[in-house]
Amino acid sequence: MERLECTTCVELRIPCRPEYVGVTRLTILGVASRMKFSYDEVEDVRLAVGESCTTSVDRAEKNNRPDAQIILRSEISHDKLTIDIIDDAGSRISEEVDEGADIEPENIGALLVTLLVDEVEVYRLDTGTHVRMVKYARNG
Amino acid sequence: MSFKMLVKSLDGGLPVIALEGEVDVYTAPQLKQQMIVLLEDGAKQIVVNLTNVEYLDSTALGVLIGGLKRMREMDGNMSLICPAPRIRRVFEITGLDRIFDIYTSETEAVEAVGKGTE
Repeated sequence: MERLECTTCVELRIPCRPEYVGVTRLTILGVASRMKFSYDEVEDVRLAVGESCTTSVDRAEKNNRPDAQIILRSEISHDKLTIDIIDDAGSRISEEVDEGADIEPENIGALLVTLLVDEVEVYRLDTGTHVRMVKYARNG
Repeated sequence: MSFKMLVKSLDGGLPVIALEGEVDVYTAPQLKQQMIVLLEDGAKQIVVNLTNVEYLDSTALGVLIGGLKRMREMDGNMSLICPAPRIRRVFEITGLDRIFDIYTSETEAVEAVGKGTE
């Protein structure tokens, strides 16, 4: 059995498809509830994770990757929750801003993630994307 | 994960789409389809009731924005009923509360829509 890197890590692997995004939200809801977060902060984390996974699902569809997967990995420490969302949904096309275009859900999703957690980093992988987000517990 | 959608017509024929549960990347396409049906039926005003929505993501927001845009192109409008602070907050932090007419009850929404069409 492959061991997780730390003793406070939770890891979930799901198919990168719309019907499974809710599973990641439920998982992170349980994990975030173990932190000294307020109710609103837990909801922020849930929404941020849902948005990030939705972006992965959109990319898998656009890149025609029906077998793509998402790994959700979280690590609790005394003052912060670190969440990694790693997909093999193919490359993300650069987000070119078209002033005349409609507001795309993906853009709203990216905005939400930025606003809901304290730190967001996006790494491009050979097969997909790795998003790392950090939420600090201020009530601790 | 639960999602329900109920469509009803109020007195005067005002269509109301009442949503329940989680409106996300998996379920929002059903809302989009329902909006298309109402638009094709010639609806000029639509009310979307989010009172019983527990979760709403960017895909749902995208569907609502698309619906609003289409309605306004036809000199119509789409209003939202959203009394829950948690759901309303999603509109507020994205600035979409300034684009949508958001009410806290069906009575309030119907009254406002009625005044707008007089």
